[in-house]
Amino acid sequence: MQKKKSAYFLPFIVGLFYFFLYLPIVVLIIFSFNEDPFVFYWKGFSFKWYMKLFQAGEVWDAFKNSLIVAVTSTSLSIVMGTLLVVYGAKRQLANLQSLFYSILAMPEIVLAVSMLSFFSFMGVSLGFSTLIAGHTLLGLGYIVPIIYIRFNELDKRLVEAAYDLGATPEQVIYTIIIPLLRPAIFSSGLLAFVISLDDFVFSFFCAGGTAQTLPIYIFAMIKTGVSPVIAALSSVLLVLSSAIVMMAALLQIKRIGKGATR
Amino acid sequence: MNKQSLRATIAKEFTFLFSLPALIWPLVFLCVPLATILYLSVVSGTVPIISFHKYFQLIDWMHTRIIMRSLILGFGTAVMCLVCAYPIAYFFAIKAGRFKNLFLFLLMIPMWTNFLIQVYGWFFLLEYNGLINTFLLKVGLINEPLYLMNNMVAVFILMIYCYVPFMLMPLYTILEKLNIHLLEASSDLGASPMQTFMRITLPLSMPGIRTGTLLVFVLGFGEFAIPALVGGGKYMMVGSLISYYFLVVRDMGLGAAFTVLSGLVLIFFSFCIYLILGVWCLRDTKEEI
Repeated sequence: MQKKKSAYFLPFIVGLFYFFLYLPIVVLIIFSFNEDPFVFYWKGFSFKWYMKLFQAGEVWDAFKNSLIVAVTSTSLSIVMGTLLVVYGAKRQLANLQSLFYSILAMPEIVLAVSMLSFFSFMGVSLGFSTLIAGHTLLGLGYIVPIIYIRFNELDKRLVEAAYDLGATPEQVIYTIIIPLLRPAIFSSGLLAFVISLDDFVFSFFCAGGTAQTLPIYIFAMIKTGVSPVIAALSSVLLVLSSAIVMMAALLQIKRIGKGATR
Repeated sequence: MNKQSLRATIAKEFTFLFSLPALIWPLVFLCVPLATILYLSVVSGTVPIISFHKYFQLIDWMHTRIIMRSLILGFGTAVMCLVCAYPIAYFFAIKAGRFKNLFLFLLMIPMWTNFLIQVYGWFFLLEYNGLINTFLLKVGLINEPLYLMNNMVAVFILMIYCYVPFMLMPLYTILEKLNIHLLEASSDLGASPMQTFMRITLPLSMPGIRTGTLLVFVLGFGEFAIPALVGGGKYMMVGSLISYYFLVVRDMGLGAAFTVLSGLVLIFFSFCIYLILGVWCLRDTKEEI
């Protein structure tokens, strides 16, 4: 009897968890189609908030800014992170991991505020470059540990075989190591990209007036009151992030498939 | 030594240069800024003098209360996240079987969504005339709507919602490595499910609990956006006060001093949590052996 009860208990909790996980998101999507601007009652189906969203220029400016920052900072941190793992001295690399973990283990506000005071101390004016500097730092914090873990899991015999067959260090790196690291590079890059798009605190402190990103725009809109345009924007972004997750998941499946055939 | 091998030797000696950018970047944008903030907090005046008067200025009841409130917020969030995430991680790791990937995939979509959107979704639920109040009124559990927004309830709900993944992932990682045979052996030897859980599963998952708790505690302590959005501006947190000093008052020295002070408090309490949970890990593994 007792066994039966406990058998239902855990799935029930998990169901409840997923219910509350998705409830706000589903409600948000439903209400983005609501006719009435007084958003808590359902008045009728309408696309008008989406029309308004596509006409609102500042949303797309903010989105463009976010994309510029995310693409630049992700590329920078991918290149630097990969070079570090591939070329770095092995023993120091292990010791250095704590440096990159410490980026993640610090409250973001401390990072952002110290960077802000550093920039104003140096007389650097805030804008895209300062924001990209911050997001690249965050990106390195995610990318270096992931690539490093994958690097350690590599089959070292492949590298040794390449050397035995007369490959130069460059050849080993570019034809053996980097192709094997590619899934890790790609998935960690995707993560850094999403983190950068998502980031609010850095943008709030280090962007200045010129580089208003999307989270800053959403934050300001939410603070001024509930607006169905934001609900419409949120639904669009949700579709976007689901697509990214789908891409990451497909990549994972492909990688597992490759591993199985090898 | 011929030319080619000489060139190869030189290349070998200098390839480490390629690894430097990724080291210089954190040095310039992490270590130097942290040093800057430390410098700003102790140096003042046009003629730089080292003094701690800013720190003394900060030691009063108001600042203590704000730091304590953030500590409670961080710790409370960590504990609630642990309570919510443990059964889920346990289910994923041990019971979910072949649907595990589907569950994890469903978990990832909200995680990879902008957290402001998640916060905004809760507005529809928590507002005075929002869905939760409408539902409770219809069912008849309450007679008039509850105030769920602009108070600590809303802050805690959203903190848990946003930080649960940070607890879930370390727990799942550690529980997935758990040897199922230990659980089977325990129940074969006559332990009740409760005993098995308390004496096998829980002690073995302690490292994951420790990582998750520390992570959520540290991040929750510095949280800035959620209290600003749903806290109703009534409760100052460490994050909001830091941004107040830097962006509103524009007193960098005082802001820096407060950042350093709250950072030290945070490090102290994180260390305490680390030690307490660590002692627990150690004692239980010893018992195990």
